[in-house]
Amino acid sequence: MNLAWLAAGIAVGFGVLGPGIGIGILTAKSSEAMGRNPDAAATIRTNMIIGAALAEGLGILAFVLGILLSGKA
Amino acid sequence: MPPSYPDIPKAFELTGQPLVTFATTGEPASVVGIGVVWDWSYTNAHFTMLLVIALLTAISVLATRRLSDRPSGLQNFIELLVQGLADFVESIGGPGVQKYLPLFGTLLLFLVTSNWLSVVPFVGQVTWLHAPTADYHINAGLAILAFALYQAEGFRKNGATYVRRWVNLSGFMEKGGLKFMLGPIFLLVGLIEFASEIFRILTLTLRLWGNVLGGEIMLVVMSALLFVPGLALPFVGLEVFIGLVQGLIFSLLVLIYFILATESHEEHGETEHALEPHPDDVDLAHARPQAA
Repeated sequence: MNLAWLAAGIAVGFGVLGPGIGIGILTAKSSEAMGRNPDAAATIRTNMIIGAALAEGLGILAFVLGILLSGKA
Repeated sequence: MPPSYPDIPKAFELTGQPLVTFATTGEPASVVGIGVVWDWSYTNAHFTMLLVIALLTAISVLATRRLSDRPSGLQNFIELLVQGLADFVESIGGPGVQKYLPLFGTLLLFLVTSNWLSVVPFVGQVTWLHAPTADYHINAGLAILAFALYQAEGFRKNGATYVRRWVNLSGFMEKGGLKFMLGPIFLLVGLIEFASEIFRILTLTLRLWGNVLGGEIMLVVMSALLFVPGLALPFVGLEVFIGLVQGLIFSLLVLIYFILATESHEEHGETEHALEPHPDDVDLAHARPQAA
């Protein structure tokens, strides 16, 4: 049994946890803001997408690590 | 016996594959534990990059061949696009940032076209075609180029005082009480700032590469899971959206790094001024007829 597969799974699983929580909070708060102030919805949506992509970048780092680890198997 | 599943790292090329190799060292040399091969070759990612450049050039030439005061068709669309980009850039950093529009727009168009290529069938699956942004060498090249450009711009704008954000000795000048401890703290903050500058290259590269490569892998895995290739179409839509957003993120971050590098750290108050549009400046982005 090769432990690299296990390591890849753990790395991706835990690495994606944080960005997931972050994007959840981000979306909840920006939906709230859009509900309170519909006039600013366009600006808020742009900022939300930018923030979501930035948070997602960290998850992608974990994903890349997982790919590299599974390449070791 | 469990069913076999595709060997992802072997089925997918993490980088472009060489079509013509001019020179190579062959054996990987160990640089801080990472195997690095010096390989001078023309890869399929280069070829696809040429296709992207040819496509963008052809569209630009077609759109500007017969310019008219009353634009219609392609010229209208391109004008809308450029005006939208100018509008967006101005909403980020004010009118003073308009001069970075060419860099921002070029990066955005190139990256978005390359990202969308990764969704096109056969790209990434046949020998000659490999989406450029799914090869981290190209992303790293763009990131290093952007890094050099914004550092140069920072030095040009702020002169020698630009290094003060990394080597801040002003803490040692503080007199009285425990304020002498500010010096080492400021030095440490400068060190962290410097490290974050270096890590910007890494994150810019890996974010784009991981997203595009992950999208390609996801499309193939979804097609395999659902057994019918057409059922993966919603994920194609998702990939198109992600390609647009990631291209936008890369170029937007480069633009923001430019703004951060050119803003002066001298006094407070100037910072906010640089980020807000001056009311007397000519408003290029809004000088267009009202949309219905």
